[in-house]
Amino acid sequence: MNEKAPKIMMEVKNINLRFGGVVAIQGVSFDIHEGEIRAIIGPNGAGKSSMLNVINGFYHPQEGEIWFDGQKRPSMEPYEVAKTGIARTFQNIALFKGMTTIENVMTGRQLQMNKNIFWQMLRYGPAIEEEVQHRKRCEEIIDFLEINHIRKTPVGSLPYGLQKRVELARALAMEPNLLLLDEPMAGMNVEEKQDMSRFIVEVNEEFGTTIALIEHDMAVVMDLADRVVVLDYGKLLADGTPKEVQSNQAVIDAYLGVPH
Amino acid sequence: MEILHMIFIAPFLDMAALPDLFFQGLWDGFVGGTLYALLALGFVLIFKASGVFNFSQPILMVLAALALVSFYEMGINPWISVALVLVMMYVLAFGVERLILRNLVNQDGNILFMSTIGLTFVIIGSAQWIFGGVPSSMIHAELGFPVGSSEMPMFGGAVYFEHIDISAAVLASILIGILAIFFSKTKIGRGLRAVADDHQAALSVGISLNQIWVIVWFVAGIVALVGGIFWGARSDVSFALQIIGLKALPVLIIGGFTSVPGAICGGLIIGLGEKIFEIYWGPMMGGSVEGWFAYVIALVFLLFKPQGLFGEKIIERV
Repeated sequence: MNEKAPKIMMEVKNINLRFGGVVAIQGVSFDIHEGEIRAIIGPNGAGKSSMLNVINGFYHPQEGEIWFDGQKRPSMEPYEVAKTGIARTFQNIALFKGMTTIENVMTGRQLQMNKNIFWQMLRYGPAIEEEVQHRKRCEEIIDFLEINHIRKTPVGSLPYGLQKRVELARALAMEPNLLLLDEPMAGMNVEEKQDMSRFIVEVNEEFGTTIALIEHDMAVVMDLADRVVVLDYGKLLADGTPKEVQSNQAVIDAYLGVPH
Repeated sequence: MEILHMIFIAPFLDMAALPDLFFQGLWDGFVGGTLYALLALGFVLIFKASGVFNFSQPILMVLAALALVSFYEMGINPWISVALVLVMMYVLAFGVERLILRNLVNQDGNILFMSTIGLTFVIIGSAQWIFGGVPSSMIHAELGFPVGSSEMPMFGGAVYFEHIDISAAVLASILIGILAIFFSKTKIGRGLRAVADDHQAALSVGISLNQIWVIVWFVAGIVALVGGIFWGARSDVSFALQIIGLKALPVLIIGGFTSVPGAICGGLIIGLGEKIFEIYWGPMMGGSVEGWFAYVIALVFLLFKPQGLFGEKIIERV
């Protein structure tokens, strides 16, 4: 990290989220710096995915504030959040299974396509130029993620690891400012994990995309993340660099040090 | 032997003997086919955008036709009546989204399907309450569609072309063409497919489900109105039109639920098939086979090609 004071991109303040009587998140606050890789870790049921869903607009917390780009964000629907430049992937892959890889990635450009629908129907003039330009960008992303060979394959028939990669490609096609990854490496073998780690780092370094990710594999988190938030039973347990978190006694007790 | 001759040989001899009658059958079947295709597209539209078989599509057609006639009978100019029906269809689309679909995001397809059955009965009840259930005749002549028929000498005989049928075939084809392009080439079309596939993922790339749903239900309403005008002109405007509307189901089984070309081919197969069968094979079964023959064709398809001619092959990973 460089010496300049980091710019805060997103800040969640005192988030409380309940489902009926079940408390999912309790008074959690943390921030995400611009350009960093921020990891959210914790045991199962700690509220990690819920936290991502709050940021993404799928859940609306009963209490708490979300600040994005220096402004307090009003309660938003997920599609509105997407418009503010936040993209995400899902723990249980959410792809358009009937579509091919390239079609899936193209849906990521949906928000950027603004030409008149009548031009689009006529396939003429500005609309065709726009389509070509977006298509080009998508092909670049597909190249970058090395999924060229499956461009025309319906994604429903792809192996799990590749589906995860297509999902990442779709999120990248949105050219987000903030990328949320929910367990991007779950269920992958060692080789696939290494590939995915490499892609995440490259996205972060080359595109300057800020990334918040949930991950179970501690070795991966310690390697990738600039800073780590640890949640347990919906509460914030620790927040700091991987080193700090690793040596935090509460974290060791709750998560890292528990023998299986 | 006698019966085999009756089924497999005699009808074809009849076709060859009176080519003008055969051509008449083809033309009538073709017109019916384009109208079936249009109806089926109404279903495809909503199926593509929400993965739901919209059971209420036929009643939408009845509602549009009934409302149009009723507005006219109140003394309103026919074209203003059309505009009023369009406004009504938009309000309905908006209401369906607000009151039903919005609350069922991420629910199973069956639950959405059940909700459209419920909607059907709500519409039947309210349409009877507001517009009454007395059959009336369509106002196509008042709307400026030509009436009457022309006779064309052909194959040593004559073929009759009802003018309203020509308008129906032309207008339905144009509308089908526009819808086909709308589906495949526009951003909204891509959004539709995305929404049908996965609600969460669609939201995450910035597609507003609510907006898409209002659009498709409104377009389905427009399709219902056009279908209602021409089916109403061919019979009369009553709740019995629903039965015709449901013929779109065999059309979809043949064509595949998500395919626009499928709806067109399926519509033509049903339209031509039932007309020709009615003329040449109907008499030996006592006539009126038109009502059920479509379902026989659909059954055959279900046995041999259950995903339809153009349907998406469903890929399930186990």
